[in-house]
Formats: sequence, structure tokens, C-alpha cells
Amino acid sequence: MGGILAEMADGETSTTISGDAAEAALAYLAEMSPDLRGAAILDAAGSVLAAGGDADRWGEDAAALFDVADRAGGEAVEQVHVGTEQGEVFALRHAGLAAVAVTDRFALSSLTFFDMRSLLRDLAAGGNGVPDGP
Amino acid sequence: MVPKPHRVLLDRVSGYADEAAAYVRRRRALRRPFARLYYRGGRAEDHAADSIAGGELFVAAGRLIEVAGRRPKA
Repeated sequence: MGGILAEMADGETSTTISGDAAEAALAYLAEMSPDLRGAAILDAAGSVLAAGGDADRWGEDAAALFDVADRAGGEAVEQVHVGTEQGEVFALRHAGLAAVAVTDRFALSSLTFFDMRSLLRDLAAGGNGVPDGP
Repeated sequence: MVPKPHRVLLDRVSGYADEAAAYVRRRRALRRPFARLYYRGGRAEDHAADSIAGGELFVAAGRLIEVAGRRPKA
């Protein structure tokens, strides 16, 4: 299997993202999203930059989800949202990065995707996913 | 007697809140599992659970839910 963003359409980030920045972004996402159970941030090659738990499993399972989603529609997906009885899964490719999040049921999808997109954009720009203070 | 202005406002806000709560209750009761894919340009596609692609998406999502585990109760 190629990189998780092998078919990425919106280009890759030219910035090298540190694990610390990705961890900070993930912590901020957890702080902002009370429904969040776990999440991971991956780079263009599919390597896990930060994850809440078993990084290898997050990497494998996120790649599998994107792979299945890409095949389902015949083109690279930008967002995946799967709602089940056990919880909801959100996956997003943006700015040459990818984020996957698992929440409780009935999480607000637009807000969750917005938060994920914001942190990936900030990470790609060299930040740590945490917006500057007022 | 004419009600005080703040009373009118409070009643109106309470009415909206009741409506919203009822909407959320109905939505939760009716909502079924789903798999939705979004593409660049705004196109979206739903995949039924009993389709091949839908089944694969649910399996892949289920594995991620398993990895994330349960959130500890506050």
C-alpha cells in the first residue's frame, strides 16, 4: 500500500512537523472536543506523528480506512464520516496531512471536522495546532 | 397586566430551547448507522451498510473505534 496520502489532491506540506507539535495539537483537540475518545495525526507517508494509544494500530487502521474509502468512490476522499452504534469515526486529509478521530455517538460532525481541519492547517504552517491567544 | 419585557424574552428563549431539545431527541431516536464520504468540490456519497463498500467502511471504522477504546467516565 502506498502512503496514506498517495492520492492526495491538495498538495503536501513542505514543513517538517515535529512529534511534539503534533502531540500538542492532539491534546488541544481533546480539550476542545468533549466527545473525543481518541485521535491520531499522520504525515504524508502514513507515519503516525501523534496518537492517543497504540500508534502502530492507529497507523494501520487509518490507512485501511482511507484505502477502503478511496476504492469505494473511485477517487481520493477528502473526508470520511462513519457513524455506528459504538461510536463515530472522522477522517480528514488536509494540507498534506491526515487526522483520524473517534468520538462518542452524536458528536457534532461539522464542528469536529472544523477543529480537525484547523489543527492540520496550523501544523502544516509550522505551528502546533493551538491557536495564538487573543 | 403587561408582562415585564425580560419575561417575554426569557419565555421566548425557553421556547426555542424546548424546540431544540425535542429536535435532538427525535434525531437521536431516528438516526441509523451510516458511512458518508466527501470529495473535493463538495460532492458527498452515502454507502449503505449492506453494500460491499459500506460493509468494508464499517469494518474499518470498527477497528478504529476498538483502538480508541472507551472514554473514561468523568
